[in-house]
Amino acid sequence: MWPFTLEGHGVWLSLYLLTFCLHAVFVGYVLIGTGYTLVQAVRKVEDPIAERVRDRLPFMLGCGITAGVAPLLFLQLLYQRHFYSANLILGPRWGAVVPALIVGFYALYLAKSSEKWRRLALAVGTVCFLFVAWSWTEMNRVMQDEPAWKAMYAAGDRLYGSASIAPRLGLWLGVMTTMFAAVAAWSSPGAERTRLAIFGLAGRVVAGLALVVIASDGIVATHGWLYLFVAAVAVELVGWVLMLRAPGGTGLWIVTAAGSAGLLAGAVIREAPRLAILEAPRPAALEAGGFPVFAITFVVGVIVIGWIVKTIRTAR
Amino acid sequence: MDSIPYYPVNEFGPLMKGLVIGGVGILHVFLAQFAIGGGMLLYAFERRAQAGDQDARAFVDGYFKVLVLVSFVFGALTGVAMWFTTIQVGARTIGLMVDEFHWLWATEWVWFSIEVCAGYAFYRFGSKLDDRARRRLLGLYAIAAWMSLFWINGILSWQLTPGGWLDGDGMWAGFFNPTFWPSLLFRTAVASTLAALVACVVINTMDLPRDRKLLLIRAAARFAVPIAAMPVFALWFLAAIPEDSRSWLMGGSMPMTMFVGVAAGASALIGGYVIVGILLKRLMINGATATLLLALAFGATAAGEFVREGARKPFTVRGTLYSTSLTPAEVEQLRRVGATTHDPYPLRDEARYPSPQLIRGAKVHRALCDACHTMRGSNGLVELVTTWTDEQLRLNIAKLQRTKGFMPPFAGTAEDVEALVQLLKWEIDGTPAAWPTSADPIVLAQITRWLDEVGTSPKGGR
Repeated sequence: MWPFTLEGHGVWLSLYLLTFCLHAVFVGYVLIGTGYTLVQAVRKVEDPIAERVRDRLPFMLGCGITAGVAPLLFLQLLYQRHFYSANLILGPRWGAVVPALIVGFYALYLAKSSEKWRRLALAVGTVCFLFVAWSWTEMNRVMQDEPAWKAMYAAGDRLYGSASIAPRLGLWLGVMTTMFAAVAAWSSPGAERTRLAIFGLAGRVVAGLALVVIASDGIVATHGWLYLFVAAVAVELVGWVLMLRAPGGTGLWIVTAAGSAGLLAGAVIREAPRLAILEAPRPAALEAGGFPVFAITFVVGVIVIGWIVKTIRTAR
Repeated sequence: MDSIPYYPVNEFGPLMKGLVIGGVGILHVFLAQFAIGGGMLLYAFERRAQAGDQDARAFVDGYFKVLVLVSFVFGALTGVAMWFTTIQVGARTIGLMVDEFHWLWATEWVWFSIEVCAGYAFYRFGSKLDDRARRRLLGLYAIAAWMSLFWINGILSWQLTPGGWLDGDGMWAGFFNPTFWPSLLFRTAVASTLAALVACVVINTMDLPRDRKLLLIRAAARFAVPIAAMPVFALWFLAAIPEDSRSWLMGGSMPMTMFVGVAAGASALIGGYVIVGILLKRLMINGATATLLLALAFGATAAGEFVREGARKPFTVRGTLYSTSLTPAEVEQLRRVGATTHDPYPLRDEARYPSPQLIRGAKVHRALCDACHTMRGSNGLVELVTTWTDEQLRLNIAKLQRTKGFMPPFAGTAEDVEALVQLLKWEIDGTPAAWPTSADPIVLAQITRWLDEVGTSPKGGR
C-alpha cells in the first residue's frame, strides 16, 4: 500500500514514517508538558497532572531524542542531498539545536529537583524546545525549496522566513497538545482525565485551524490517506467526548487507537509533498547488507524493552 | 559532471574544520566511553553490594546518578551533535557512511535504545527492585552500551582501513576490517579505565572513613588494569594501518608523532599510578589526584582521536573519498573540466575580489582547500606559503600529493592552479584594491606539464 512498499525506497520510507511517529509522541509530550507545567508553576497551582508530568519530562526527552535518531538516519537515505544542503544553508543557527537540547535537558532536571528555580528552568526549557520545533519545521521547508538555496547561501541568510512556517508550527503544536493529553491521561484518575480531554479537543481545534491555512495552498494527492486521517480524527473526537462524559470508560482507548491511526495517516500526508524531491536510490545504499542483523536485533530489542517494562511494573 | 553533488560550504572563522569536528568528537568519545566502562563497573559493584558490602550499594546509587546526568544527557546529545557537525564539515563522507552501513547504524540504534531504557529503569526504580532484577538491569545496560561501541567501531575503523571492501568483498568485509579488533579492544580498555578514574573521584565525595574508601578505591582501580594491555592493542593497530599512515605516526609527520607521544605518555602515567601506586603499593588516591588523572585521560583520548583522524589523510574513506570530498575518479574528471565549473553556489563575499581570476581562485580555495585550511586562521594558507616564490607556489600546488604525502592530488585545471596562486599572492600582499590578471600561456603550459607529470594517484597509493 502506497507509500509502504518493499521496493527501492519503500522500506526506508516505511521505517522513517513509523519511527517519526514514535519520536513525535515523545517530543510532543515534552514540549507541551514543559509548557503546561510552566503555566501551572507560574499560577502556583497544586496540580497532580503537572507534578507527574514534571517528574517524567527528563525520561520522555531521553526517549524522544533516542527515538529521533532513527528517522534522522532514514531521512539521510531518502533525501540526502536536500537534507544536507538545507542543513548547511541554515548552518550555525541549525547547529544551535543541540546546545538548546542540552540546556533544555538539564533545565528539566533542575525543574524536577529545585522548587526555587522551577519556574525559570521550565521557562528556559519551553523556549529551548520551541526553538528546536521551529528549526525542524524550517528545515523541512528549506529542503523543499531548492530554488531559494543559492540566494540564501550568497546572502548568508540563516532564516528562511517563509510565511508557511507559522501555520505548520501551529499545526504541530495543536497535534502535540492532543498527543500530550492522550499520553498523560493514561496515568491520570477520572477527574483529571476530564481536564485532559478538554486539552485534547483544544489541540484538535488549533490543528484544524492551522490545517485550513495550510490547505489553502493546495493539497497533494495522498492515495486515500486523507480520508483515513479524517475518519481517524472524527473517531478520536468521539473518544474525547466520551472521556469527558465518562472519564473511566472506553474513551481513552478509542482516543489512543484512533489517535495513533490519525498520527500515522497525518505523517504520510505530511510526507506526500516532499516525495516530489525523493532522490533516486544510490546503488551503495540499495546494495548495503545488514538488514537481517537489524531485523533480528530489532525483534530482540522489542522483547528486551518489553521485559524491562514488565520488570519495573513489579517494583515495590 | 552532474553526478558530483556540490554542497554549500560554511566557514568557521579562524577555526579549521578539523578543529570543529575534533572538538565535538573528542568530547563525545570521552563521554560515551565513560558510559560504557561505567556500565561494566556498576555491574561489578552491584554484585559486590549484593554480597553484603553496603558501601558498594551506596556507591552504585550515587555513581549512577552521575553517569545518567553526565553521560546520558551530554553523551547522547553530543552523539547527535556529531552527526550534524559531520554534515557541516564533510557531508559526502557521512552520506557515504550512511549509505553503506545504515542497517548496522540502525542496529546500533536498537542497542542504544535498550541502553537508555535499562539505564532509566534502574535510575528510576532501582531502589524498589529486588537484587536479581537490579543485577539483570545493570547487566543489560552494560551489554547494550558495549554493543553500541561494537557496531560504531566497525563503521569508524572502516574509514581508515576498508580492507576487502575496496576489492568488492562487501559490507561485512569493510565492517570486520583490519583495525576492527585492535580498535575495539583498545576502546574497551579505555572505557574501563575512564570508569575506574571517575569512580575514584566519586568515592572521594562519599562520607566514609578512609579505610572504607580505600577498599572501594582498590575495587574500582582493578577496572583500570586493562590499561596494561593497551600498548599491545596500539601496536596491533599500528601494524594493521596502511604503511604511509604508519610512517606519519612514526616520525614522518612530527605533529602526529607528538600526539602519539602525548597519548602514550599520558596513558603510561595513568597506568603506572593505578597499577603500581594503588594496586601494588596500596596507596590512597584523593579526589584531586583522581581528577588530575582523569584530565590526563582526557588528554590521551584527545591525542588518540587526533592521531586516528590524521592517519586517514589524504582520505576520509581510504581509497574512496579524499578529504576534499571527491572520489579519485572525480579528481580525474575535474582535471579536465575545472574544479568549480559546475559549482552552483556563488561566493558570499564576491565583491571583495578585484578580478574574475581572484573570484575563481576563491572558489577553488572553497572547493579544494577549505576542508582542512583557513586563509589566515588555524592551518592558514597565507602563513604556510608566504615565503614561497611564484614558481614554488605553482609547482607545489600542481604536484600537491608530492608536496606533502598526506595532501590529495589537485582536482582542477592549470587555470585553476593559477587562479589559486594569484589569490594566495593577493592575500599575502594585503588584499590590494587592484590586481592584474595572470594568463601567460607559457606559465599555464608549464603548470599543465606538472599536472600531467604527477597524475592523479595519491602519493601513498590506496
